Amino acid sequence: MYYLIVVVFLIIIVRLFYLQVIMHKDYKDRAFSGQYKEQQILPRRGTIDAFDGTTRVPFVLNEDTYTLFVDPKYIKEKDRTSEKLAKILGVNSKEIKEKINNSETRYVVIAKRVDQKKKDQIEDLNLVGVGLRTVPMRSYPNGNLASQLLGYVDQEGSGKYGIEQYMDGDLKGEIGLLKAVTDAKGVPLINNKDNVLKDAKDGKKILLTIDVGLQKKVEDTLRDYLPTVNSKSGSVLVMDPNTGAIKAMANFPTYNPAEYFKVEDPRLFQNATVADPFEVGSIMKTLTMSAGINEGVVNLGGSYVDQGVMKIGDREVKNVSGFQNRATRPITDIITLSLNTGAVYILQQLGGGELNEQGRVRWHNYLVNHYRFSKTTGVEQGYEAEGYVPDPKNGFGLNIDYANTTFGQGMNITQLQMTSALSAVINGGTYYQPHLVASTKEGKANVDDRVKVVAKDVVKPETSSQIKGVMELAVNKSYTFLKRDGYIVGGKTGTAQIAKPGGGYYDDSKINGTFIGYIGITKPEYVIMVRVNEPVVPGYAGSKAAAPLFGRVSNTLMDNYLLSKTN
Amino acid sequence: MTYSSSISTNKRRFESRHRNAVSFREQARVLGPITNTVLLLVLGCLLGLFYLSQVTKVNASGYKIDSLQKEYTALQKEHDELELSAAKLQSLDRVASSEEAQKLVAVTPTKTIR
Repeated sequence: MYYLIVVVFLIIIVRLFYLQVIMHKDYKDRAFSGQYKEQQILPRRGTIDAFDGTTRVPFVLNEDTYTLFVDPKYIKEKDRTSEKLAKILGVNSKEIKEKINNSETRYVVIAKRVDQKKKDQIEDLNLVGVGLRTVPMRSYPNGNLASQLLGYVDQEGSGKYGIEQYMDGDLKGEIGLLKAVTDAKGVPLINNKDNVLKDAKDGKKILLTIDVGLQKKVEDTLRDYLPTVNSKSGSVLVMDPNTGAIKAMANFPTYNPAEYFKVEDPRLFQNATVADPFEVGSIMKTLTMSAGINEGVVNLGGSYVDQGVMKIGDREVKNVSGFQNRATRPITDIITLSLNTGAVYILQQLGGGELNEQGRVRWHNYLVNHYRFSKTTGVEQGYEAEGYVPDPKNGFGLNIDYANTTFGQGMNITQLQMTSALSAVINGGTYYQPHLVASTKEGKANVDDRVKVVAKDVVKPETSSQIKGVMELAVNKSYTFLKRDGYIVGGKTGTAQIAKPGGGYYDDSKINGTFIGYIGITKPEYVIMVRVNEPVVPGYAGSKAAAPLFGRVSNTLMDNYLLSKTN
Repeated sequence: MTYSSSISTNKRRFESRHRNAVSFREQARVLGPITNTVLLLVLGCLLGLFYLSQVTKVNASGYKIDSLQKEYTALQKEHDELELSAAKLQSLDRVASSEEAQKLVAVTPTKTIR
């Protein structure tokens, strides 16, 4: 008997030794795994504000929505559950019942983007097997406004297109982590030395340079105007030439970023002003003239012999009808009458009097290094395009190609590149970094702290003064409807042929109209560039379709923004 | 030894014998093993109680922190919702279509010379 007791105790001791010593780690880990929980702490995406005059207003915010799901295994009364949910969601109960019955999984999504009110109603029902998962979404109080500029945030929380894409790293913040021993309810017990807590870092709050009121007005103007010239699409860009801040950036057609998933044509997501380079047409002559004056090869007070029609290789460059005869003309006519052969004359002068490599290289230097074409500007937008400027030394037919570039054909640039370059030319020669983000600093500051000078020698100040003079002369002579006493207005039209994908150009029935100009009181305060795609109007698209749109936008600015400065 | 010195010597002996003297007898009072054990157990219990009270206190603080965090999150959510509602109420489309706006009449700015 005594030995039996000893043996039993020995067995117990051995077993306890095995469980408590040898298997210690295993059982400890198993016990710990039930208690130790790890969860990500999601940061809040940074919101986006904009200017309303001088005040800061919310523009893009966050809103919690909910995904309603069910686990069919736990739903005993499928009819009753379906009916109750259908009543709240405003859908047919049969649809819900079908989803519940036909599912082979235990996670069946019944509805997405359920709002807070419906979520509360569903929770009040206390239905077994029904759950709600929080899904943060972007909310846009102003609907479609500036949608292409903003971009959108997808279901995974990633920014796509526009500001959301470019600034995604700043906006999304950093995910936090909590690893902790918890009680039965999942509440972390803080007395464990192995707990890990890394707080989530919310995304930065961004202040845009755009003015909400102006953006709205420009978008409405564009939308209402395009049908009057039988155009289906267009864009308007308004920039402060003295800071590089973009005050309005509008495209049409547009979309609702809160319902991005309903968009069928992905091209609609693109911000055409930065992502769609095109041949801008004769508005380029302002920059050609600037290069000529800056290099001292043309003098605005002088004259030249205009050929009317120039044969370059086997191709011809012609002026518009009525100006195709050879004549001695003032240099200013190149801008005021938009003479193509006049623009080519400047290229010839850059080459010492003829079309040659020297002239092409000098002009290329202006295009790429002074005006900064064929490279992205660095504006805070996804998918910004570089554009294209032909090589001045390699290739065939370089003289005709380069002759074409003097009046904005044969090269692609974006609306933003053109506006930034002209801003530099008319502000005295300083190229400011074009920007849409005024600040990413914490707090409620409403100042633009991201003004940055990229280059100071785009053109000489005297060149700048002369170009302003000739652009104002163009308005005074040809576009008097844009003038207004008390304000300075300068501008230039462009009517650009559209390149075919396979080479060559479409005929004159398919052209783009452009206009670039500036307005101010004592100096240029806004540069405006408009683009009207394929309008159907009698006459030239630049003067008949684009210039009137410029006028509507410039009048808005003068009525609302510059007016306050005249008091 | 003279008589006088002999008396003096005897006197010192006598004085020495009857002089007041304090003496200490070292008496070691060692606790027994049972007392030691009891004391150690009591001390251990006290330490254990102190530890448990602190752990409980810390855990209670944890619940309080958790509760405050939940409250903070709820308030932040409420703040966001209010901000969103305010932004929606101030949106340009809503303002433009408001009853008050319908009563407004568009005018040409008087200080602008066309």
